Amino acid sequence: MAGPELLLDSSIRLWVVLPIVFITFFVGVLRHYVTQLLQSDKKVDLEQVSDSQVLIRSRVLRENGKYIPKQSFAMRKHYFNDAETGFFKKVKRKVVPKNPMTDTSMLTDMMKGNLTNVLPMIVIGGWINWAFSGFVTTKVPFPLTLRFKPMLQRGIELLSLDASWVSSASWYFLNVFGLRSMYSLILGQDNAADQSRIMQDQMTGAAMAMPPDPNKAFKSEWEALEIVEHKWALENVEDELMSQDLNFRGLFSQDPKKMF
Amino acid sequence: MASVSELYDVTWEDMRDKLRKWREENYRNSEQIVDVGEELINEHASKLGDDVWIIYEQVMIAALDCSRDDLAWSCLQELKRQFPDSHRVKRLAGMRLEALERYDDANKLYDSILQDDPTNTAARKRKISILRAQGKSSEAIRELNEYLEQFVGDQEAWHELSELYINEHDYAKAAFCLEELMMTNPHNHLYCEQYAEVKYTQGGLENMELSRKYFAQALKLNNRNMRALFGLYMSASHIAGSPKVSAKVKKDNVKYAAWAASQINRAYQLAGRGKKENKCSVKAVEEMLESMQITMS
Repeated sequence: MAGPELLLDSSIRLWVVLPIVFITFFVGVLRHYVTQLLQSDKKVDLEQVSDSQVLIRSRVLRENGKYIPKQSFAMRKHYFNDAETGFFKKVKRKVVPKNPMTDTSMLTDMMKGNLTNVLPMIVIGGWINWAFSGFVTTKVPFPLTLRFKPMLQRGIELLSLDASWVSSASWYFLNVFGLRSMYSLILGQDNAADQSRIMQDQMTGAAMAMPPDPNKAFKSEWEALEIVEHKWALENVEDELMSQDLNFRGLFSQDPKKMF
Repeated sequence: MASVSELYDVTWEDMRDKLRKWREENYRNSEQIVDVGEELINEHASKLGDDVWIIYEQVMIAALDCSRDDLAWSCLQELKRQFPDSHRVKRLAGMRLEALERYDDANKLYDSILQDDPTNTAARKRKISILRAQGKSSEAIRELNEYLEQFVGDQEAWHELSELYINEHDYAKAAFCLEELMMTNPHNHLYCEQYAEVKYTQGGLENMELSRKYFAQALKLNNRNMRALFGLYMSASHIAGSPKVSAKVKKDNVKYAAWAASQINRAYQLAGRGKKENKCSVKAVEEMLESMQITMS
C-alpha cells in the first residue's frame, strides 16, 4: 500500500523518539548496577568442580593423547574406561534434581532476576504506552504485513494505515533489543542489562557449572574415549626435524636483559 | 640512592605497566619488583586507583622473597584494612608466617580458610609447600597426590609433583606427571625436554629411544633449545653404542648423532662470529663431542 508518505511533526522526533531512547538506555544501565548489587555469591560444590576437571582431563586425553607414548595412553584409557574398575564405569554420582520451587537459593535468584529485568520492562512499557499513545512515532524501513498492525499500532485505530508505521510502544521494544550492542560498548561484555541474553538463558534451562546429570556426562565421555585410537605424533619426528638445518635466529643476542 | 624512575628515566605509568607485564607473565624477579613496586607505592599510590591493591599483593610476595619483612608487613596491613574478611588476604598473611618459619601458625590459618571454603585451592597448596619447606617430602608427595585426585586439572601441581618425584628418584612417576603436562600443553618444548631427560635417566633401550624422540620433538617445537640438541646427541650415541641393537638401528642412530653434532658445531661457530676466541672454542666443542661419544664396541 504505497500511498502518499505521511509527514510527521518534527516535535515527535524531539519529544518522543529521543526521550524513549534515553529512557531505555538509562534504565538498562541502572538495571545492570542494581543486578550487580543484588548478586549473591555462588557457592561451588567440591564434587562438581572435581567432576568437571576429570571430564576436561578425559577430553584432553582424547585430543592430545597422540603426544604421549602408546603405553601411557593405554594406561590412562584403561584407568577411565575399563569394564570393572574404570572411573567412568565405577563412579556413579547421586543426582538430586534441583527443583526450582523448593531449592531456596535458586528461588531467590529467580525472584531477583524477575524483579530486575521483567518488572522494569513491564512498568516502563506500560507508562510509555499510556504517555505516548494515540500517535504514530516512526516508520520501519521495510514493509510489513497487515498481521503486524494490532501488535505494532497499539492505540491507533486506523484501518487504512500502513503497517510500517509503528507506535511508541513498539519503538520502545525495538530499543530494548537494539541497545544491546551499546551496553556491551559501555558496560563491557557480559553485562546484566543484556535482556535478550537472559531470555535465551532461561530458554536453554539451568545449564550451570555442571550439567545436572554428571552420570550422563560420564557416559558420553566413556563412549567418546572408547572409540579413540592412539596415533603417535612422534613416529617420524627425527626425519621431520633433520630435513633442514636448525634455525638459530635470536639465540645469540648481545645485549644483557635490562629492566626497562 | 637514586630512585628507579631517575635511574632509567621512566614515568610512573611505565613502572605500573612493567609491573603488570611481570604479573601477567609470572616473572619471579623479586628484587626488581621490590625496587619498582616500593617506589610506586610510596610516591604514586593515589594515582594508581584500584590497581594499587593488586600491586600491594605482588610487591608483598616479592618482599617475602627478598626478606624485606618491613615492606611485606606494611603491604599486608594496607590489604587487611581494605579487605578485612578476604581469603586471599588471609593466604598472604599465612605466607608471611611461612617466611618467618612459624609453620604451625601458618597451618592453623590455612585450616581456618579451608573450613570456611573447602574448595580453596590456594590454601591447600600452601600447606603442601609448608611440608616441602620442612623437608617432609614423602608427606608432601602424599598430600599432593590427594590434592591432585580432586583437582586433576591443576598444572602447577602436576609440575610440583614431578619435581618431588625426581628428588626422590622415582622417575617412573615423574614421567607420568610430565606426560599429563605434555598432554595439556603440547606446544611447550620445555615439558618435552624434561620428559626426555627423565627417560634418559631411567635408562634401558626403550627409554633411550623414547628420550631421543622427545628431544627431537622439543627441538622441533623450538629450534634454539641447545639442551635438547645435546640430549639428542647423547641419546642417539648411547643407542648406537649399545651392543644389543640391530645394524639398521645402529646406522640410524649414528646418522642422528652425526647430524646433532654438526648442528652443535654450527651453533658454536655462529655464536663466535667476529670474536677472536672463535677458533679455540669451536675446537673445544669438537673435542668435547669426541670425548662424549660412547665408544662403539
